[in-house]
Amino acid sequence: MTTLPLRPRPALIRRDALLGLVLVLPAALTILIVMFIPLVYAVVASLYDHPGADQAAFVFVDNYARFFQDPVAIRSLLNTALYTALNLVLCLLLGVGMAVLLASFPRRTGNVLRAIFSMPLLISPIIVGLIWRYMYDPQYGIIYWLLGLVGLDQAFGGLNASGTALISVVVADVWNVTPFILLVVSAGLTVVPDELYEAARIDGAGPFRILFRITIPLLSKVLAVVIMIRGTDAFRVFDIIYALTNGGPAYATSSLSIYAYKAAFEQGDLGYGMAVSILTLIALVILFGPLMRNSARRVDEL
Amino acid sequence: MSPRTKRRAIWAVKWVIVALFMLWTVVPIAIVITNAFKKPLDIFTTAPRLFFQPTLLKYFVNSTIVAVVSTVFVLILATFASYALTAFGFRWANWVANAFLVGRLVPVIAMLLPLFIIFNLTGIRGTLVAPIIAHAALQLPFMVWLLIGFMRDVPKELEQAAMVDGCTKMQAFWRIILPIIAPGLAAAFILSMQYSWNELLFSLQLTSFDTYTLPVGIAGFVGAVSVNAGQSSAAATVTMVPMIVLGFFIQKYLAAGTTGGAVKG
Repeated sequence: MTTLPLRPRPALIRRDALLGLVLVLPAALTILIVMFIPLVYAVVASLYDHPGADQAAFVFVDNYARFFQDPVAIRSLLNTALYTALNLVLCLLLGVGMAVLLASFPRRTGNVLRAIFSMPLLISPIIVGLIWRYMYDPQYGIIYWLLGLVGLDQAFGGLNASGTALISVVVADVWNVTPFILLVVSAGLTVVPDELYEAARIDGAGPFRILFRITIPLLSKVLAVVIMIRGTDAFRVFDIIYALTNGGPAYATSSLSIYAYKAAFEQGDLGYGMAVSILTLIALVILFGPLMRNSARRVDEL
Repeated sequence: MSPRTKRRAIWAVKWVIVALFMLWTVVPIAIVITNAFKKPLDIFTTAPRLFFQPTLLKYFVNSTIVAVVSTVFVLILATFASYALTAFGFRWANWVANAFLVGRLVPVIAMLLPLFIIFNLTGIRGTLVAPIIAHAALQLPFMVWLLIGFMRDVPKELEQAAMVDGCTKMQAFWRIILPIIAPGLAAAFILSMQYSWNELLFSLQLTSFDTYTLPVGIAGFVGAVSVNAGQSSAAATVTMVPMIVLGFFIQKYLAAGTTGGAVKG
């Protein structure tokens, strides 16, 4: 079965073209105004010190240079990279693992379980932060209660120790977001024909072999999309860190977005904040650009 | 081990894993909901402040208005745009469609300030219109991308057949295309509602006291020195429950939405 788009007959082209343009224009305009113009603004503003104020001074790339000289900035960059990596690994392990596991259940059961498991995804990061903050509380939190059962509660610093703060935030974020991966991979698994598994089983392949040699390669396109979406979201993380630790303790959980936000909105250092945002954008393009190219829609292909 | 015992053992292991994951999923949610109903002394707060019920109701109403209106707005724009990009055979359609995808990379802070300024100048900052426009604009790239995925799956013979029978393009759109991608629209609707309902940053900066949405209200509890767990849990529960209920009802649409063509690529 062929799909859209279709090629209009030459006689109708001009009228259809006008209609098409009219249809796409509102969306395109909105994007232009709300995304691309602010982007241009951000780039321009990043070249100034205190842009928009009376003492605006054109400092060219000074803001950018300043970034690399600020230890907090570098810390934020490293935190963000580490955060993204940990996030991806954990989300993929849990999400793909559970998706594969659920696929082996009868369909109804699997659907019910999946519905329940999707709940965390629907919760706002600020609430996730609230919940986990409470759970990480040294006196009243369930985490410490659990750790106490195995005698580890003294060793774990939770959100208050710079050594463990980042991973604690990662765990909360993973709790929030894993269902997304679970859902997408589950859907991706339904496309795999049963005959493939049958054939592999007849040939004597064990479950792990099937997983690694058949399932995962077939999921590669889905996984690429998932990694791209999750990776770009994790790299730009803001809400949940803001809710849990606000960048502390001692900048242990400061991400690039938090750092930029504080510089721009709390310290009034607007130009610098914009510069950090642009640097984040550049990092995103470098890290995830190749993946995005692969996922890019070809509108006219099947 | 006999094959039967082996199968039983595997079954048991699978269910143990499921049970563990179930606990992991449900316990945090249960904690918050039960906290909302506990008396303050049971949690740990010192001086319980009365949480004015009218305030919570007002935030709830604000959130609902913003979510519904921005979602409708986005869907209208995105549906037209995705149709335009897939059904007309424009040569530049590809380029534009991918440009929408790049919208994900733009740092939100870069967007926040200009929007803040524009809304301030036009006087709509502090009204509900501001977050509505912001949410719609922020969701637009993803929605267009999503709906293009669904539109591509529509067999073009259907549209052609309709046009042979004398439909104009727009009639074909309303009568043929839209009903077919209805599940996709439902998925997009849910996703956009969920995004807007839970959104914090732009709601925080673009609203004022009367127009706070629920997440903004909750954010007010975050900075507090002694987190008033009872009241914040109540607010959190009120914010969580509608989305969870919505999610349960439309579970299959949610799955279709998050994959939206990613499966078929």
